Amino acid sequence: MAGIAAGGSRRSALAPYLLLAPGILYLLAFYLVPALSLARTALSPETGPWYGGLQHALSDYGMHLVRSFQYALTATVLAALLGYPLAYAMAFRAGRLKNLLLGLVMLPFFTTFLVRTLAWKTLLADEGLIVRALGALHLLPVEGRLLNTVWGVLGGLTYNFLPFMILPIYVSLEKIDRRHLEAAQDLYGAPASVFRKVVLPLSLPGLLAGSLLTFIPAAGDFVNAELLGTPNQKMLGSVIYGQFLTVRDYPLAASLSLLLMFFILLLVLAYTRALGTEDLA
Amino acid sequence: MGEHELSPVRGPESSPRSSVSRRRFLGRSALLAGAVAFGDGILDVARRTAAADGPGTPQPPPLEEKRTVRISNWPLYIDAKTVQEFEVATGFKAVYTEDVNDNNEFFAKIDEPLKRGQSIDRDLIVLTDWMAGRLIKLGYTQPIDAAKFPNKANLVEALRGVGFDPGRVHSVPWVSGMTGLGYNPKRLGRELTSVNDIFAPELKGKVTMLTEMRDTIGLVLLGEGADPAKCTLAEAKAAAAKIKKYREAGHFRGFTGNDYAADLAAGNIAVAFAWSGDVQGLTKDNPDLRWVAPKEGAMLYSDNMLIPKTSDRGDLAAAFMNYVYEPAHAAQIIAAAPYLSPVKGVDAELAKLDAGLAKSPLVNPPAEVRARLHVFRWLEDAEDKELNKAFQDAIGA
Repeated sequence: MAGIAAGGSRRSALAPYLLLAPGILYLLAFYLVPALSLARTALSPETGPWYGGLQHALSDYGMHLVRSFQYALTATVLAALLGYPLAYAMAFRAGRLKNLLLGLVMLPFFTTFLVRTLAWKTLLADEGLIVRALGALHLLPVEGRLLNTVWGVLGGLTYNFLPFMILPIYVSLEKIDRRHLEAAQDLYGAPASVFRKVVLPLSLPGLLAGSLLTFIPAAGDFVNAELLGTPNQKMLGSVIYGQFLTVRDYPLAASLSLLLMFFILLLVLAYTRALGTEDLA
Repeated sequence: MGEHELSPVRGPESSPRSSVSRRRFLGRSALLAGAVAFGDGILDVARRTAAADGPGTPQPPPLEEKRTVRISNWPLYIDAKTVQEFEVATGFKAVYTEDVNDNNEFFAKIDEPLKRGQSIDRDLIVLTDWMAGRLIKLGYTQPIDAAKFPNKANLVEALRGVGFDPGRVHSVPWVSGMTGLGYNPKRLGRELTSVNDIFAPELKGKVTMLTEMRDTIGLVLLGEGADPAKCTLAEAKAAAAKIKKYREAGHFRGFTGNDYAADLAAGNIAVAFAWSGDVQGLTKDNPDLRWVAPKEGAMLYSDNMLIPKTSDRGDLAAAFMNYVYEPAHAAQIIAAAPYLSPVKGVDAELAKLDAGLAKSPLVNPPAEVRARLHVFRWLEDAEDKELNKAFQDAIGA
């Protein structure tokens, strides 16, 4: 009996590892190995110190890096401002429309990212409806157009990553126990203070997750800047694309990729440290 | 690279909009959008399969596998029928893939395997002069079997003696094209004659140049009064510096592959450095658009058929070259992809197919235009690398 029991517990002790194994092996083969090879390409220049490539990349493309983070941050804030009220309405006010609205939020995913961005080119065209309407209202930016401006790029980034902001916020709002709200109201909380003291704090994990899901891909994105911007709006992703595939300066491209990863990691760590991740799950 | 069975054989007529497409990643994406927008199917594998077993073809014994020639070319560089008709005429099978979007990108894909002597699963590839020259120099190509290619005699004299391949041992042109200015005179309100018109202050934010370095640097050099066929590296880098200055001031809408075409048609761009065949294709839907060879000159390039050294089917590749060098077959291709044919006798055949097109100056430029066409000079590897770096920096890549 004792032997069987011991065998059983040994099996259950192994179980988590067995369950983890496929994922770990997959990440090992397709993430860690390429990442290490990338690091080796970046950090072993033919001449000079190991950090020479990074230094060179940072001095030549530091501006693109800063721009990538500026755009990603702006898009994240815009997505949060647009997404939160929508998620709130879906979670608390939509009633029977809830599923329909959820479906509508996900609908764009049925079209590929690239085609959606190309559609923006048509929407923002110089002789298109939007530009003409804004022109009539004298609301156009100084360039006199939207396509191939910073506004086009920010709009595209916000639009493309908005669902990644809405869905986590919606889930965390949906999860809130309604009795908390009733309790707050019973304690004479005005709607605004119920929101501020109960709903918002309880939905922070969703906002945090949504921000990460928006910010990280937006910082590395190159499609929006490439299609909706000019070379002066180029983000680091475009540079990496060009260096890998056109210029074929692999060490530089690898250095840039490494820098992007490093700074994203740094910002994400600072962000999660400030807001706390224990509630993320 | 190995997925060529999934790739389309398609002619420009399958979507009127997409007949303008030719180059680069963004070009392909524009194509995708065009196809989605118009709701027509991109993939038409069935058509090819049907043709292989088409009526009138004697069925081979079931166990004997048909020999297949695998071809890589630029998008929308062929009509819909030639590949099938080649199969019927020769009994070979052909897999024609439109996966060359950019010389550098394609080179990046095939460089490693060819360096190691491995197959790239292609028997015929089509690359622009300078890249064809690089491949030949690296020993990545094999000579074309002249016995299998009697129609090589149809190659026009002007393209026989090229510097990168004397005697045309390893390469023959697919088609040639011109790079000049594309614009809409009606919308612009005036005619353009000079390359330097693209730098006019009132066109700020409304112009594009090409990401193909030799085309863009070449045209800017012509505007500066230099000859791209003989320029020094310093002159070329000065042209890049000029581009950079204007780019930083926000003068350019972008640097493009063939995707300038859609923007030109939509009116987002007023003037673009443009390929002749693209604009000819665009005029079907936008008759006001025009392509001009600037008075300072225009660039001329050819895209060349090459046989990778690791192909074991050089004879089939030569058979395909021989087939498309038949004037009637070449005319059929030009009718769908309106560039300059390198095949003698194509004019008469084209006149039978499309009399209007045969007279177009874009397919058949008059002598005074031909006299103004320039080919970018050969760049040694080190020069190419240095200029490319300056150019990529100039266009903000």
